[in-house]
Amino acid sequence: MGRIVYAAAMSHVLYPDYYGQNVGPHGRRMVEELIAVVREMGRSLTAAAPDALVVIADDHLNVFSFDAIPALCVRVGRSVNRMIQDDAIEFDRALDGLPERYPVHEDLATSILERGVQAGFDFAASWSAPLDHAFLSPVSTLYGDRPVPPLVPFWVNCFVTPQPTAKRCFEAGRHIARVVADGPWTVAVIATGGLSHFPELSLARIGQSDPVFDRRIVKLMETGDHDAMTALTAKELHESGSHELLNWLVLLGAVSPARARVRFYGEMGRVDLAALEWDVA
Amino acid sequence: MSRYETNVLLYRLKKDAAFRDRFRADPRQALAGADLSDEEREAFVRWDARKLNDLGGLLHLLISIPGLGSH
Repeated sequence: MGRIVYAAAMSHVLYPDYYGQNVGPHGRRMVEELIAVVREMGRSLTAAAPDALVVIADDHLNVFSFDAIPALCVRVGRSVNRMIQDDAIEFDRALDGLPERYPVHEDLATSILERGVQAGFDFAASWSAPLDHAFLSPVSTLYGDRPVPPLVPFWVNCFVTPQPTAKRCFEAGRHIARVVADGPWTVAVIATGGLSHFPELSLARIGQSDPVFDRRIVKLMETGDHDAMTALTAKELHESGSHELLNWLVLLGAVSPARARVRFYGEMGRVDLAALEWDVA
Repeated sequence: MSRYETNVLLYRLKKDAAFRDRFRADPRQALAGADLSDEEREAFVRWDARKLNDLGGLLHLLISIPGLGSH
């Protein structure tokens, strides 16, 4: 019987130059502190020796074109490429120098997809979508030079219609947990993104975060109040700039009723940063 | 208002380097066949990112177009 052997969530622009340029020395220092913590977390993750690593993250209108935007998408296939983009913006410069290809855990990915559809989840599948910073900045920070286990990339659509609800994301996480429990594999699960930034997705409000909202959310995860988390509305997420919490909600469903342990929390102003682990062992 | 067309063009500016070069050289000509309102077209031509955002242009596209995106 399989089990989840490690679970964590963390902000996903782990790139000091970005914050140095856009926030200043204070931002650079804060993300460097976060990176040091994520590297420590990576040692725990590596020690857990998972057969597969499920990574739950969002697309920044970078991978899926307007031909089709999936609400929830499982990456299938045998390998996945790092996104390569000419003149990459600052976010994606964090990927420069990383391996160009990563293995996919095909059996787990296919099980999540096919059993999900049988269970009523209209998951999309992709055989070709590459991974941007939302996936690889955390993965590369966690693993450093150590080998990365086969991945199961799982996209949650956070910014444009059709976004799934918080409750639906949590249910998708419960589904992932059931697939893992029924399978033969040990699995790690990480969710990425957040905390609050880009409120209302308004260019005029870049530079603002919502620390009151973030403190409340972190407390809810520490106390394991998942009912309150699944009750979050699209309006609350949009107004506070917490769109990417949908990724975290999938993870919460996968680990519920486990409580979070805060490894890092920092209020930068432009974006609030965090890294949390869940006691799943 | 043609929010869809606005975002399709922003996406194309992000992903299509040749189109981006044509837009930089002559924005009005590059947008000649696009189904935009006058207000949208002028916002593109002036590259008024805030205006485009107010008109429905998606933030993550506006901030990530090489050479045009800014935070």
